[in-house]
Amino acid sequence: MLIENPLNSTELAFPILECFHIVGFAIGIGTIAIVDFRLLDLGLRHQSPAQITKDMSLWTLIGLSVAVFAGLLIFSTDPDHYYLNLAFDFKMIMLALAILFYYTVHRKVVFSSDPSPRHGKLVACFSLILWASVIFGGIAIGFVAEGLNFN
Amino acid sequence: MIISLAGWLENLGLFAFIRSNGYAYPILLALHLTFISFFGVMILVTDIRLLGWGLRSQPVSDIIDQLRWPKRIGFLFVATMGFLLFGAKAEEYLHNRFFQLKLLLFTAIAIHALVFRPRVYNNANELDGAKSIPGQAKLAGAVSIFLWVSVACAGRGIGYLAAPFGLHYDRTVGVSAPAADIVAVHNTAVHNIGGERQEAQVARGNGHAH
Repeated sequence: MLIENPLNSTELAFPILECFHIVGFAIGIGTIAIVDFRLLDLGLRHQSPAQITKDMSLWTLIGLSVAVFAGLLIFSTDPDHYYLNLAFDFKMIMLALAILFYYTVHRKVVFSSDPSPRHGKLVACFSLILWASVIFGGIAIGFVAEGLNFN
Repeated sequence: MIISLAGWLENLGLFAFIRSNGYAYPILLALHLTFISFFGVMILVTDIRLLGWGLRSQPVSDIIDQLRWPKRIGFLFVATMGFLLFGAKAEEYLHNRFFQLKLLLFTAIAIHALVFRPRVYNNANELDGAKSIPGQAKLAGAVSIFLWVSVACAGRGIGYLAAPFGLHYDRTVGVSAPAADIVAVHNTAVHNIGGERQEAQVARGNGHAH
């Protein structure tokens, strides 16, 4: 039995979901970026990277959760449109890597008792590049036609 | 007058290039959003501190003062990308209701700065001494969050409105027809897989030229 997705029955649902998605990822990524900038000796230099991460981690989690949840709902409006889109696949891979990196390597470096500044800077750059590529992948979804459409 | 100025702007070589090159517009848009994430959120972090929703163990003045220059530099990055995007379709955007709303919100943000900068942001040392954050500072933070989140939503809205007829440039190189027609033709061309898909795409307002 086919069940109509209620999100497709109103024109407003999609743009509103996108707004949640954008504000959510901005907060999630921005609160991570502020730690990355600190690791690069920019911004909140009076605080330690560990202190900023501790204070911001709830907002990071809220932001990323809102973005992912809104993203899942956006995906549900037309799954074919997305998983057949190469930019979408790229974005999902980068997103998985970015989240994994943030909760493993990034955390370890930030909370290590004797962080090496070189490691910190490297991790910060890598983190910023990972998250930027998620955004680039997301934008690209709207600009490339579906894959498997060779002719 | 403003419209003819926009017409002049968008026909400059740089902006004509952004409009006609398939990669320039999406890359600038992605940079716009990346800089919003990296720097725009510093505004929210300041507001979060003013409202006492986070960073409570850090002095208010410390957060405001340290983020002041990063925010300014970030704004320059975001606004530069925004201006390049605007210039590519200046006339179309001036007609766009969401773009107009965005400009209105920026005006409100300027007023917010005039009202609250002397009282709150330039007066942060006093907030450090206070037992609890005064209502005025919390109001400044709350209004700021509301305005900036609205700017982000209005910005997304811009892409949902089709261009009006009779613009003074061709949306696609080598084709001369009213802009809205070309959008329709283009959507048909890309999304010819199924009628429903095409409809969904139009409703989705992929207003960026593909």
